Amino acid sequence: MEAIKYYVKGAFQGVDETPQVLEQQEELIADLTAKVADLVAEGKSQEEALGMAIASVGDLSDLISEFGPAENMPVPIPVATVYANRLDLHVVTVSLGIGMAVMIACTGLGAMVRAIEPGSALSLFGALAVSAWWLRTAYQKYLAEPDAVQTRQLQYKARFRQSLLVWAGVCFAAFVLNMASGTDFWFWPIWVAATVWPLAVKVEQLMTERGEFAATDPAAAETV
Amino acid sequence: MGDTPISSDLIRGHIDTIVLGLLSAQDRYGYEICKQVTVLSDGEYELKEPTLYSAARRMEGQGLIRSYWGEGSQGARRKYYAITQTGKDAYQRNLDDWQRARRLIDTLVSSETEKE
Repeated sequence: MEAIKYYVKGAFQGVDETPQVLEQQEELIADLTAKVADLVAEGKSQEEALGMAIASVGDLSDLISEFGPAENMPVPIPVATVYANRLDLHVVTVSLGIGMAVMIACTGLGAMVRAIEPGSALSLFGALAVSAWWLRTAYQKYLAEPDAVQTRQLQYKARFRQSLLVWAGVCFAAFVLNMASGTDFWFWPIWVAATVWPLAVKVEQLMTERGEFAATDPAAAETV
Repeated sequence: MGDTPISSDLIRGHIDTIVLGLLSAQDRYGYEICKQVTVLSDGEYELKEPTLYSAARRMEGQGLIRSYWGEGSQGARRKYYAITQTGKDAYQRNLDDWQRARRLIDTLVSSETEKE
């Protein structure tokens, strides 16, 4: 049934071949094919059946014009209106909690197998200080404005990639410092700590996409 | 088909209900729906495929129906439509509305002649 395909493709000429358009074409081709088969079964010749089927479908321009504006329409970015400071405090607490648990587990394990350099305590305390400061900032923001509402774009891919790059950079720096100081474990708390950032991005994504902390009054939102 | 096909304007507003009704019985593909309309109306009304596709796409957007690709003849795929629960509810609502409208219009269009 090449003639049907040819007819349909011709009718859709000049329309962007988006998946929706291709699907519509395939549906039309399948339906026309079934129609022609029916007419042939009724005793019409192949050519006659083809002509009748195409004529009975009639004008396709209305249908095709429905796909027109889709050509240049930007994909809308999903957004969520959330209680920003509550969300942030939650995200910071959860990701720091996970990071801390990993850190404690690693320290315990390291101590047991005696693989930890005493010096790593320095970087450990450094990481703890940064964590405490981060948590405090989020908590103070929450105390100041517990009901602050923001509309956030649910686009986490770029942020996650960025945080992973930073994490890789931190790991590399720690690795170089290890090499330079001739020890193995001086800087491991630094890269464990740095994983908290990509973790925080993921936690926020999980929260917002599940609709947690959704604000009941979107009108009050400021867009971010 | 029919000698004097019924004005499509009178039917157009009820295409959604007609399609939902046909899908209540079983899942069907596009041509099957159009064919069934012709058969049921004894050739008096012809539902054109493009009209059906537009209606189907709109109703799918509203969650009244869903579509899936199934087996066709000779290895080709066919797009089937199925009614959803929301669609069933909407169908029942439309049906009730239509019964009431029909009674009302019957009364209104015949009231003058009956009084005389």
